Amino acid sequence: MASSATTSQQGSRFGQAIVNGVAASGRMLRNELALALRTTAGKIGLPLVIFHLILATVGPLLAPYSATDFQRDEDNRVLQLQSPNTTYWLGTDNAGRDVLSRVMSGASSIIAVSVAGAGLGIFLGTVVGMSSGYKGGRTDEIVMRVMDGLMSFPSLLLALLVLSTLGANHENIIATIGVVFMPRVARVLRSVTLSLKTLEFVQSARLRGEPALYIIFREILPNAIPVLAVEASVRLSYAILLASSLGFLGLGVQPPSPDWGLMISESRNFLVDAPWIGLAPAAGVASLVVGVNLLTDGLRQARGLPVGGDHD
Amino acid sequence: MIDARPVDVPVAEVRDLAVTFFTPRGTVRAVRDVSFEIRPGEVLGLVGESGCGKSTVAFAMMGYLPGITRVDGDILFEGADVSTMPAAELQDLRGSRIAMVYQDPATALNPTMRVGPQLEEVLKRHTDLNSEQSRERTAELFESVGLADPTRIGRRYPHQLSGGMQQRVVIAMALACDPHLLIMDEPTTGLDVTTEATILDLVIELKDRVSAAILFVSHNLGVIARVADRVTVMYAGQTVEHGLARDIFKSPRHPYTSGLISCVPQPPTDEGQGDRLTSIPGAVYTAQEEGGESCLFALRCPIAQESCNNQAPSMASTGDGHFARCLFPDDVAPEIWGESQIRVEELTDEEPEPVLEARGLRRFYGRQRKRYGFFGPKGRPPVRALVDIDFDIGSGRTLGVVGESGSGKTTAARAVVGLVPRSSGDLQLEGDDLARSVEDRTGDQRAAMRMVFQNPTASLNPRLPVRHAIIRSLRKLAGLSKSESEDRAVELMEAVGLDPTYLDRHPVELSGGEQQRVALAGAFSANPTLIVADEAVSALDVSVQAQVLNLLEEHQRETGTSYMFITHDLGVVRYVSDDILVLYAGHVAEYGPAEAVLNTPSHPYTEALLSAAPVPDPDAEPAHIRLEGSVPTLRSAFKGCFFAGRCPRKVGDVCDSTPPSRLEGTEEGHDVYCHIPLAELTEMASTPPERDVASTPAD
Amino acid sequence: MARFLMVRTGLIVVTLFVVSLAIFAVTEILPGDAAVMSLRQGATEENLKARRAELGLDRSPVVRYAEWMGGVVRGDLGESLIRKTPITEVIGGRIGNSLILAVFTFAVSVPSAILAGIWAGVKRDSWGDHTMSVGSLVAISLPEFVTGILLMVIFSTTLHWLPSSSFIFPGTNPLTSPSILVLPVLTLTGVLFAYVMRMTRANVIEVMETHYVRTAILKGLPMRRVLLRHVVPNAMLPTISIIAMNLGWMLGGLIIVENVFSYPGLGRLLLESIDSRDVPLLQALSLLIAVTYAVSNLAADLCYGVLNPRIRLA
Repeated sequence: MASSATTSQQGSRFGQAIVNGVAASGRMLRNELALALRTTAGKIGLPLVIFHLILATVGPLLAPYSATDFQRDEDNRVLQLQSPNTTYWLGTDNAGRDVLSRVMSGASSIIAVSVAGAGLGIFLGTVVGMSSGYKGGRTDEIVMRVMDGLMSFPSLLLALLVLSTLGANHENIIATIGVVFMPRVARVLRSVTLSLKTLEFVQSARLRGEPALYIIFREILPNAIPVLAVEASVRLSYAILLASSLGFLGLGVQPPSPDWGLMISESRNFLVDAPWIGLAPAAGVASLVVGVNLLTDGLRQARGLPVGGDHD
Repeated sequence: MIDARPVDVPVAEVRDLAVTFFTPRGTVRAVRDVSFEIRPGEVLGLVGESGCGKSTVAFAMMGYLPGITRVDGDILFEGADVSTMPAAELQDLRGSRIAMVYQDPATALNPTMRVGPQLEEVLKRHTDLNSEQSRERTAELFESVGLADPTRIGRRYPHQLSGGMQQRVVIAMALACDPHLLIMDEPTTGLDVTTEATILDLVIELKDRVSAAILFVSHNLGVIARVADRVTVMYAGQTVEHGLARDIFKSPRHPYTSGLISCVPQPPTDEGQGDRLTSIPGAVYTAQEEGGESCLFALRCPIAQESCNNQAPSMASTGDGHFARCLFPDDVAPEIWGESQIRVEELTDEEPEPVLEARGLRRFYGRQRKRYGFFGPKGRPPVRALVDIDFDIGSGRTLGVVGESGSGKTTAARAVVGLVPRSSGDLQLEGDDLARSVEDRTGDQRAAMRMVFQNPTASLNPRLPVRHAIIRSLRKLAGLSKSESEDRAVELMEAVGLDPTYLDRHPVELSGGEQQRVALAGAFSANPTLIVADEAVSALDVSVQAQVLNLLEEHQRETGTSYMFITHDLGVVRYVSDDILVLYAGHVAEYGPAEAVLNTPSHPYTEALLSAAPVPDPDAEPAHIRLEGSVPTLRSAFKGCFFAGRCPRKVGDVCDSTPPSRLEGTEEGHDVYCHIPLAELTEMASTPPERDVASTPAD
Repeated sequence: MARFLMVRTGLIVVTLFVVSLAIFAVTEILPGDAAVMSLRQGATEENLKARRAELGLDRSPVVRYAEWMGGVVRGDLGESLIRKTPITEVIGGRIGNSLILAVFTFAVSVPSAILAGIWAGVKRDSWGDHTMSVGSLVAISLPEFVTGILLMVIFSTTLHWLPSSSFIFPGTNPLTSPSILVLPVLTLTGVLFAYVMRMTRANVIEVMETHYVRTAILKGLPMRRVLLRHVVPNAMLPTISIIAMNLGWMLGGLIIVENVFSYPGLGRLLLESIDSRDVPLLQALSLLIAVTYAVSNLAADLCYGVLNPRIRLA
C-alpha cells in the first residue's frame, strides 16, 4: 500500500506541487484584476495604471527631446523658463530642459523603482509572514518581535537613515523600499495564514501527510490571493509616495536623470514665474497614485474586503 | 398581566405571502406561498429544512426585509398589514406588541453594553416607567426567565454570561412589554442539549403564564414536537402541510412530512435496532428556481404521478383543521418511502479485536503562566481538556462519543488522529504505538486512520477543484499511479452517490450534503481501518443527514471499517453506535456497549442527557431531569467527582472530596464512574430526583 | 487586564531595544565619520587619528553603544557634534514647535473625520458619500509635498493670504504668529482626515450589518438611539486604535512638511543632522521618533483594551 516511488521522484513531485501552487496563484491574481475591472473604481484605476506602465516603458523613447540636454535657440542661447508653447508643450525649466520630455522620462525611473521595491517587499513579506504564521510557536513570536522592531520606524525615517548611509542609487532605493515594506506585508499575510490554517481542508492536508511547504504554497496561498492582491496594490501606492518623497528630499535618483520628486523640489524657487515646472511632475505623481488607489478600491470591492489596512 | 382576549380571534394572519429578493446574483424567491394564522396562547411550530424560507417568514412578520424585495400577499397583525405599514408605526409595534428571539444570542446582544440597560431601553421606549421602575421591572423579568441573582446580573456584559443565560436575557427583552406575538427563530439551535432542554421548559411554561401567541421556527423535529400545539411544514418557500402537532407526526398527509419524520433517528422499539433511516433522494428545490405549474416536490416524491408535473397543488383540507398541499394526500403512509428495512445486526461470536486502544489519554494546553510574565504569583493553570481517557474501538464497530461543549470530545478525536498532540497516554493502532503528532506517524498509519469534519464547506479547499483532495489521497496514501487514481476517483464518487463529472467542479458549486459526500469519498479512498467522524452530520439538514448515515453504514458493512463517531445528538448516537463513550468536562462518565449505556443503570449525567434530548413524538414524556448551571471551566483539577457541581443525584460530601472510581457490579466492558452503588442507581432510574423543575433558577 | 498591560509594555521595551541597536548599527556605517566632517580640509592621517581618539571614536562599537544607551537611560543624549551643545537643549528648542503642529493637526482633522466617517457610513451610497469617497481618495493619493506646494501656490504666491515660509527666529513661539501654522497644518490634515474618515466609514458599515444592531432596530428603537448607543460605540473601538497609530505616520509627514515650509521643527533638524553628518544628533532624533511611534502604538493598544469590555473584564 505504501508508495514505492524513489526519493528523487518524490522530491521532484514535491517541487512540482510548489510550482503548481505558485502558478495557480499567478492565474488567480490575473483573475482578481479581472474582477476588479467590473467595479467602477477598477474601471478607471486599472487603465490609468496601465497607461503609466506604458509611459514608463516607452516614455524615454517617445519623448520629443532629450531629458537632460539644454535646449538652445538659433543664437545658441539657452531657452530657460519658456512658457508652454507649440515647440515645447510644457515649456522649459530653469536649465532650459524640455519639461515634457523630463516628465515622460521621469516616469520610468520612479515606476521601475516603486514596482521593484514593492515587489521585493511583497515577496519577502509573503514568504516570511506565511512561514512564520504557519509554524507558530516560539519562532513566530521571535519573528514578529523583529518585524515589530522594524515597523517602529516611520518608513520615511528608516529609508532616510539607510540611504544617507549607503548612498542613493537605484539598487539601494529598491532594497530599502523592500526592507521597509517587508514587515508590514508580513503582518498582513501572517494574519491571513493564521485564520486559514485552522480550516479543515488544511487539517485534512496534514492528515494526508503533506509537508509544511506544500501546505503553505499549494493549499493556503491560493486562498490568500485576494488579500495579497489588495495588499500588493496598497504597497505599490506607498512605494510611489515614498520614492517620490525621497526624490523630493534629494535622496532619490540622482541628477541629471529626471526624477519627479526632485523636479518638484527644484521648482520651488520658480513657483511664481513658472509654475508648470512643478505642476507637470506633480500631475504625473498624482495621477499615478490615484490610479493605483482606485485599483486598490476596485480589488477590495470585488471581494468585499474592508477598507482597512494600516496607514503606512 | 393577562388580558382577556378572545381566544378565537387570531393575533396574526399570513395570507398568500410571497417574498422575492433581488440580489446582484439573481432573483431569490425565498417565500412563494405561505398562509397560516396564530391565536393567543398557542404555539405554532414552523418547521422546514434550510432554505425553505421559514426565517424569512419570521422576519417578514416584523416587517424586516432588508435589501430590494417585493412582498405579495398580506401579513396581518391584529388587523393591520405589517408589510405596508409606515416606518413610525412599525417602530411602535416592534418590541412592544411583536417581539423576537434570535438564533444566536451571543451576536444578538450588544457586546459593549451591559445587559440590564439593553432591556431597560425597551421599557423606556415603549412604556412610561421611570428609571427606578424600569430597573425594578428588569429585575422582575430576569427572575421570571429563570436567571439567578436577578438584581445584579444586569450589570454584566454579554460575554460574561453563558449561552443559556444570554438566551434568557434575549427572551426577557422580548417579554418586557408583554407582547401579543412572540417570534422565536431557532432559539435553541446554538445551545447544548441540556441547556436547550431548560430553555424549552421555559417556553412551555410561558405558554401558560403569558397570553402571547408564539411562532416557533425550527428545523429540529424533536424540538417542535415538544413545544408546538399546531405545526406548519414548509418546503421550497411554500407551506406543504398544516395541522395539530399530533396529527402531523402520527399521520402526516404530505409525502415530504412523512419522509422528514422517517429521516430522524428514532429510539429503538422493543424488537431491536429499529428501522433503517429513509432518505429523500435528490436535493432541495432551491429558491433560485422559477417554479411554475407543478408540484415543487414532485421530482423527489415516491408517489408522484403525471398530474403532479402539470398542476400546482394548493393547500387543501384533509379534515379536522389538517391541510396538505398534495394531490394525493390519502396515499401518504410510511411505506411509500420503501419497505422499512430492519437493520441487519452483525452478530459476531468472538470478541472482535480492538483496532484502536487508548489508555490514560491526557491533553492539557497552555502553560502554567505566572501573572506578570516571568514573576509573581501563579496565574492561570493550563486547560485540562482530557483527563485519563480509556477506550477501545473494536474491528468493524462504531464507537459513539457523546458529550456537550467542553466535554473534550473534539479534543479526543483530534488527539486520536494526531492533529493535536496528546500530553500523555498510550494510543495504539492495531498493536502499533501511534506518535503524538500526525507529522511523526508513518504513511501506513496515516492511510489507516482518516477523518471527516463537521463543516463540509471548510473541509474542501475552495480554490481547487473537488478532485484535488481525492487524487492527492490516492497518490500519497494509497500509492496509486496517476491513471490508477483517476479511475479509482471515479469509482469512489459513484460509491458515495455523486456524478463523477463533479470532480472538476469547485466546492462552491456543490451543496452542503454533496460536499460532505466528497469528503467521505476522500476518507474512503485509502481503505482505512478507522474513520474518525467529528460531528460529521451535525451541520446537515435532516434529510441529507440520513443519506450520509446510510452511506456510512453501507461502507462499514462492506469493508469492515471501524468508526469513531463524535456527536452531541443523542438520537444519532443511539442510531449509529455499537459502543458508547460519554464524556463530561474531559472525564469519562460512562463507557460500554450501546445497549448497556443507554439502558439503566446509567451514570447520572448520561441519564440527564438522555432525558434532555427532544424526540419527534409529541406524546413522548421526557423524564424531567434537568441540570443547573453550565459546564465548569477546565482549569483546575477536580478535587472530587467532576460532575459534583451539577449532579442532580449527588449523595453527599463524598462526591466533593473523592474522585469516583469504576463502579462495581456492572457487566464486563461497561464502565460507570460514580459513587452511588449499582443497586441504588438501578432503583433511581425509575424515580426522577426531588427537584421541582419550574422553580429552579438557572445559573 | 493587568496582565495585558504588563505583556504589552514588556514587548515595547524589547522592541525599543532592537530599534536602538538598529539605529546604532546603521549610523555606524555612515561613511565619512564625525572626525572627517569636523576636520574637513585639514584631514591628514594623523589628524584623523588624533581627532578620532579625541572624540572617542576609536573604541569598540559595543562599548560606545553601551555608553550611549547608558546615557539615554539617564536622560543624557550626548552632545551635538556640529553645534557643540547638549543634544537635549537642541531638541528642546525645536520639539515644542513640532508638537504644536501635531496637536493642531490632530485637533482639526480627527474629530471632523470621525463625524464625516459616521455620516458617510450611515448614508452609504448617497451622493454625499460618493463625493467624500472621491475626495478622500485624491487626498490620500497626493504626497504631502505635492499638497503642500499646491497649497503654497494657491494661498501664498497667488492670493497672498498666507506666508509661504514658516521661518521664525529661533526661540520665538510659533503661536505668536499663527498664520505660519495654517498651511503646514492644512497639508498634514488632508491625508489624516481622509484616512480616519475612510476607516470610520468602513467600521460603521460593518457594525450596521451586525446582528445586535438588527436586534436594536427590532426592539423598535428610533434610529438616533440605535446609532448613538449601538453603532457608534462599537464602530469607534477599532477606529481609536487606528488613530493612535496614525500619530506615528504623522512623524514621517512632519519631516516632509517642515521641509516644504521651512518650519523650524524636529523634522528639519533631522534632515540637517543627516546633511551635516551629526551622528549623535541623528541617533538621538531617530530614537526619539521611534520611541514616540512605539509609545503611541502602546497607547492605542491600551485604549482598545480599556474600551473593549471583552478585554477589560476578561
